[in-house]
Amino acid sequence: MEIINYNLLNVGVGGQGVIRAIQILSWAALREGYKVRTAETHGMAQRGGSVASYLRFGTLIEGPLIPRGKADVILAFEASEAVRNFNYAGPQTNFIVNDKLIIPPMIHQQGLEYPTISQIHEFLANVSENVYLIPADDLALKAGNQRTMNVVMLGVLVGINQIPIKKDTIFDSIMKFIPKKTMDINKTAFELGIEKGKTIRGKENE
Amino acid sequence: MSNPKFVDDSPGERIILMGNEALARGILEAGVIIAAGYPGTPSSEIMATLAEMANFHPHLKLEWSINEKVGFEVAYGGSMSNVRSVACMKHVGVNVASDAFMTACYAGARGGMVLISADDPNCFSSQNEQDNRYFGLHALVPVFEPSTPQEAKDMIKYAFEFSEQFQTLVLFRTTTRLNHGRGDVVLGEITKINREYSFDWDRSRWVCLPSHSRVLRVRLLERLEDITEFADQFPFNKLTISKERIKGVRYGFVAAGVPHAHLIDTLNYFNLIDKVSILKLGLVYPPPKKLIKEFFKNVDEILVLEELEPFLENILKQIAYEEGLSKEVVIHGKDYFPQNGEFPAELYLDILARFIDLDFEKQTVPEDMIIIPPRLPILCPGCSHRATFYALKKVEKKMKTKFVNSSDIGCYTLAVYKPLEGLDTEICMGGSIGLANGISKVQPKENPVLAILGDSTFFHSGIPGLINAVYNQNDMLVIILDNRSTSMTGFQDNPGTGIKITKEPGTRVILEDLVKGCGVKSENIWVEDSNDIPLMIKKLEEAVNAKGVRVFISRHICSLLEVNELRKRQITPPIVKVDPEECIGCLICVNQFGCPAIMFDDKNKKAFIDQSTCRGCETCIEVCPSSAIYKESE
Repeated sequence: MEIINYNLLNVGVGGQGVIRAIQILSWAALREGYKVRTAETHGMAQRGGSVASYLRFGTLIEGPLIPRGKADVILAFEASEAVRNFNYAGPQTNFIVNDKLIIPPMIHQQGLEYPTISQIHEFLANVSENVYLIPADDLALKAGNQRTMNVVMLGVLVGINQIPIKKDTIFDSIMKFIPKKTMDINKTAFELGIEKGKTIRGKENE
Repeated sequence: MSNPKFVDDSPGERIILMGNEALARGILEAGVIIAAGYPGTPSSEIMATLAEMANFHPHLKLEWSINEKVGFEVAYGGSMSNVRSVACMKHVGVNVASDAFMTACYAGARGGMVLISADDPNCFSSQNEQDNRYFGLHALVPVFEPSTPQEAKDMIKYAFEFSEQFQTLVLFRTTTRLNHGRGDVVLGEITKINREYSFDWDRSRWVCLPSHSRVLRVRLLERLEDITEFADQFPFNKLTISKERIKGVRYGFVAAGVPHAHLIDTLNYFNLIDKVSILKLGLVYPPPKKLIKEFFKNVDEILVLEELEPFLENILKQIAYEEGLSKEVVIHGKDYFPQNGEFPAELYLDILARFIDLDFEKQTVPEDMIIIPPRLPILCPGCSHRATFYALKKVEKKMKTKFVNSSDIGCYTLAVYKPLEGLDTEICMGGSIGLANGISKVQPKENPVLAILGDSTFFHSGIPGLINAVYNQNDMLVIILDNRSTSMTGFQDNPGTGIKITKEPGTRVILEDLVKGCGVKSENIWVEDSNDIPLMIKKLEEAVNAKGVRVFISRHICSLLEVNELRKRQITPPIVKVDPEECIGCLICVNQFGCPAIMFDDKNKKAFIDQSTCRGCETCIEVCPSSAIYKESE
């Protein structure tokens, strides 16, 4: 099938590996012959602030930004960031969400309230039918390092079958961009993610 | 972990490049020898990528210059010596370089000379969103603007050839989404240039004194005329005419840069790409007059898509007036599009639908919207700036006064937010000291005037302000936050580290010697470790109370670099914990110090340290009034 365009929004908190994840996917998309565009958050916005990276690929794309309401997938490395960017989603959009909350220090300093995971889940479920909460930090720890959370999430994306790129192409691309010493851990992280994604897809089909 | 292929001479290969990497690749392909600049988001990765390339292409002569003006001059010196040269900076950096730029444009280029200005609509990481296309208009210099990473590479390669052909400087304008967006790029050949590189002793050209400049100005105007004539053949300008009408109207669109890419997406979305005429400009100044006249003849209603100022819109309106066509064609732009911020992709959908009167439903927000408080960027865990600002707050409190904290551009600007709220001004690089010179002239003695800036910012443009303070006896305390890095833009080295852009050793400039050389008396100079809070409080109080121009160097390496260094030396940082028995839940560590590694358990009313975030700097131990924070013994 010819993909005219595919839009993925990857959101999270500065330092969680959003830029690396987008770099991995953009190379994989190139390898499968697509035209590719991304837009990323660098500089001041990275200092623990919210980050959002756009990935678009297909046969008919020019610009780097995704119109609101048109994301195919919102891949959220932190749960509340999925809500912050919910308006990129339409009713069919797949929300693949790390079930971790990172509460900014200023919440305490200013006496503000922060939503809970269940509130977030409930809200997202009103936006889209396809919301998947993933214990990605736990899986990354299981793989051997919390910092492989981004690779776990890429595995889920593949396992759940929501990206038109072959598993092996993404795997090769991961190996290209991670430090050599961490190859085994990242391989495990990717596989754990795929497994998790497959069980979700299995439930969908029941 | 970047892709090493971008250094290979492998024309035809298709790889993924970030816009800034694509620019670096184009610079390499053009046979450039000298590249200089000062770090600044969104431009920094151009020089960083060239530095990686220099490992494989040793002919590249690169430097991080002390500021953008010097960076421009370094490159221009190269051009004078018949070498292809480039200066890279962010938009506000061009303000600093403009003193040189506005006269260099008179003498023009010998070796191809390009100034890259990375503009930042939306102020993602900037103090303003100025539109630097006007610098081209101001200096009578052509302005190039690419739409995609591929075009960025191809266009900058061409810019050096163009510069030599017309002996003109080229202003190469990009915006954040081009610089920090990736795309597929087909590589070109790396040009080898065989020519003699040497200075040319043509004083009538390079010595811009009045008698020469009057002549040079005439040549500048002639050059611009030649370029205007050529603009119709400029290879990155493209006019696409459609003979179709939509509801009887012939529509035309004009765009350059990133908005052009989104225009194409939007027209594809509505299936209108073949039904409208499009003028795509790669040369945004001077305008291609014949193309524009041809465009005017074929359209009735025109929409100009450009972020920030109505630059192209005004040019088009002027040409329509000159051609007597101001009644025949209607030119729209800022009556549809905002003059601030970046255009999100859905804005194009919405505005084009309105412009052509199409059916398009705007998205509605669900009613049960939950509010997520903003997640602003903050000082990192273990950041030494936090310790300095915390200590300053303590001194201020002790002295029962309010300081005027004139501050500057860098990571430490983030201390403006709660809980530190440690700075009162930020305008431009080095502005802290300049402003303090003025503020101190009228400020009552009860409110000491402080100028607070980073090491790199001090080198960049703080030095003249300090000498000014000494000379004019404008009393102030200058605090230099010396974290041995230009951190915000990606940890670039600076004269204080003495390491060059290629990581080769240079000559280190000793900050305290420099300050002394500026005329600050030895007894008015302090150098302390930022993270030693009790000592910092004592010494800062001393410095605040001393007379004359004082300089306090608060020194501690950037915590991110410190962690890397420890990791390299395989040293495990200490584990710092909160003893729940001792913690009284006073929240001082959370609400006054505010290191993101310190969390608070609302159930037990106790602070605790998130070990995955903590860097083990131990600074917070001194912050706790009940000594509940401790270093775990091995």
